Amino acid sequence: MKRNALLGIVLAVLTVVVMACLPLVVKKDSILNLLILVLLYMVLASSWNIIGGYAGQSNLGHAAFFGIGSLVTRLLWVTGWPFIACLAAGVVSAIALALLIGFPAFKLRGVYFAIGTLALAQILNVTVGNLLPEMSYNPALADYQLLPRYYLFLAMAVITIGAAYALVHSRLGLGLKAVKGQEDAAESLGVSALKHKLIALVFSAAFAGLAGGGFAFYHVSYYLNMPFSPLWTFDPMMMAYIGGAGTTIGPIIGSVFFVLIKELLVLKVGAYHLVIFGTLFILVVLFLPGGLVEAWEKTRTALKRWTRARPRGPVATDTR
Amino acid sequence: MLESVSQTLILGVLVGALYALVALGLSLVFGVTKFLNVAHGELLMFGGYASFWVFSLLGVDPFLTIPATLIALTLIGAVIYQLFFVRMVKLPEESKIKNTLLVGFGLSVILQNLALRFWSADDRGITASYSSAAFTVLGVRFPMVRLASLLTALIFLLALHLFLRKTYTGKAIRATVQDWEAATLMGIDIHRVYFLAFVLGAALAGVAGTLVAVNYSIEPSMGLNWTLKALIVMVLGGLGSITGTLVGGLLLGLTESVTSLLLSNNYREVVGLVLFVLILIFRPQGLFGTKEA
Amino acid sequence: MLSIDAVDAYYEDIQALWGVSMEVREGELVVLVGPNGAGKTTVLRVISGLLKPASGRIVFRDRALDKEPAHKIVALGICQVPESGRIFTGMSVLENLELGAFVPDARRERERSLKWVYEIFPRLQERESQLAGTLSGGERQMLAIGRALMGKPRLLMLDEPSFGLAPILVDQTFEMITKINREGVTVLLVEQNVRAALELASRAYLLENGRIVGQGTEQDLLSYQSVRSAYLA
Repeated sequence: MKRNALLGIVLAVLTVVVMACLPLVVKKDSILNLLILVLLYMVLASSWNIIGGYAGQSNLGHAAFFGIGSLVTRLLWVTGWPFIACLAAGVVSAIALALLIGFPAFKLRGVYFAIGTLALAQILNVTVGNLLPEMSYNPALADYQLLPRYYLFLAMAVITIGAAYALVHSRLGLGLKAVKGQEDAAESLGVSALKHKLIALVFSAAFAGLAGGGFAFYHVSYYLNMPFSPLWTFDPMMMAYIGGAGTTIGPIIGSVFFVLIKELLVLKVGAYHLVIFGTLFILVVLFLPGGLVEAWEKTRTALKRWTRARPRGPVATDTR
Repeated sequence: MLESVSQTLILGVLVGALYALVALGLSLVFGVTKFLNVAHGELLMFGGYASFWVFSLLGVDPFLTIPATLIALTLIGAVIYQLFFVRMVKLPEESKIKNTLLVGFGLSVILQNLALRFWSADDRGITASYSSAAFTVLGVRFPMVRLASLLTALIFLLALHLFLRKTYTGKAIRATVQDWEAATLMGIDIHRVYFLAFVLGAALAGVAGTLVAVNYSIEPSMGLNWTLKALIVMVLGGLGSITGTLVGGLLLGLTESVTSLLLSNNYREVVGLVLFVLILIFRPQGLFGTKEA
Repeated sequence: MLSIDAVDAYYEDIQALWGVSMEVREGELVVLVGPNGAGKTTVLRVISGLLKPASGRIVFRDRALDKEPAHKIVALGICQVPESGRIFTGMSVLENLELGAFVPDARRERERSLKWVYEIFPRLQERESQLAGTLSGGERQMLAIGRALMGKPRLLMLDEPSFGLAPILVDQTFEMITKINREGVTVLLVEQNVRAALELASRAYLLENGRIVGQGTEQDLLSYQSVRSAYLA
């Protein structure tokens, strides 16, 4: 077990180094933009996974945190604040929102929580669209450079995934697992379900808000309520599930897979990539709740059993 | 002043009946099977498109396209049930609700994007020859189309009510809701009941879609908003009661109308959602339902 | 008519029945007695198809039941009055009775069946349009039995019909069951009230901890300690 973890970390560091050096080799903007999209999805999927996968609370309002982060960051940036301050403010407002909705929302159990958060996010979506219907233009248009944005997203992805990994291996992570499994049982053991769920939500929101800030930095012009669209909840959620909800690499695999399929299909058939993704999502929910990670594990075990069994003669190796 | 208030209230009632029909299918399905099919709005959308195409290609009166919608959505509902939902019949209630929510959600993505592919993102609407006609009584305008929609909604509400009350199959459905094991001991095939309820729910969604196409417009991404409307009405009116659904729909319609009068038209959507969240927190069993969450 | 042969049954991983074998011949009134938790309800559930046996056979009128779905078993002529009746409280008395005659064969003859049930239970006719949930305990039991009779059962199974009833109602209930049996309905009666049940039965089985430990007439069963102590209780 320990060896696998070490191997994983080495691989991760290697990947980050490769990605950091990539712009030296690859000059095409289109590829960098694609990678930025993948990184953005990684942050969103991983952050959703913290509350939806680790804690098992299907939060259907994730876009609200993404949206508020981008809104605050963009508005402050347009008035001339230094970008880092705007980004920080975006994260703080996402955390504040999480605390604000967390208390009432977690009064709701199970499916009520899901549709409640969905409704809350839609309330924000519509209200922001009503109050700020104008398009937002990038003030520093002339100095737009892709490279700093690429590194920003890379840094975000590293921070988010690293924090998620640390979280799941901490005592807090254990508490979350207990709450996910059987909330009442956990409570009786002294694990405060509300506290754990709130903390998970705050982390989830913080990173979504961070991504929102990145979004605000990245896009030249967009409608301010666009990041509040439910698509920004649903796509990351599907990525986390298909990759493997509740694991750390699941959201990563899922987001890469998603963008890959999208790019492959765009060449051929057009908008079908979401149809395929939706179908895969349903298949995962029905048959393979651990997603691609589980599929990989199963294949590995099957392969091991097969290679071990082959040298033997006709005598059966496993008895029922 | 009095005219605009009564106008608002009348429009609220007319819209409310439509909302009740929208919610009826989802309420029936959830009440019987405990499947929370959040792709309900997408089924509604398909119903709208079915009507739109029959209307555009054959030129019939929009309300006469309803049989086509019923047939189309019955078939689609049957296929969807067999492909995706039938496996979840045996699950315990809590995971049944959670898993059908997720499956329904995946389904909504599929249906939405299929519609996008087939029919593009353009808004479509059905404009009947009498779209602008209206009765005016005491200074209050009753648009023909809205009245016809009200009538259609009431007809289907009544039809479902009679079906559940008077027919053997309807009684079997009600029995299954109350105690499915006891229903099995009567010789009732629960699987058939589930299937029937689901398909009926889809058909009702389709009819609602026709009304939406006639009164508003349709486009592939409209599903979520209508699913939310259905959920709001369900929560307002409580489950398991057709009367409750009607009252819930009317309440929502009136609340929206009053809000657009007092605040602005933009906040129509929001007030329903706010009401929804408040009721979820304070009274999840709705205004009529029994305390059994 | 009905024969159960070496049936094992499990709830998840917990075994509830071990090699249960029983027989009910046409026209009989057979009683299954045993202490609380012995598995008597489980036996009925297995016969009715609500629980599939892990092994063993169940044959009803030359037809194997173990693979049939529960709703088909009702159509074959086995009707159960489950524990505590489980009437549909949100529906009227008449609707409950109508639902009892759901299967096609019974539905055809429901007018006649209804008359018969009202003969046996005139109180039900009085309360025809009342909501079943408003009935008293004894009336609910009547409704549950009446509902099962509407299915024109060849085999009527009752799960502790005396439970929770006042003694005078218990006697009445057993009188009615005897009457129904005399009119030609084969009966399998599960009871904890050993004394009263054994007076009715032609034959009885004793179930303890998921196993049949004894069978025979009332005399035969009195040789068992548990039965004797139940008599003294």
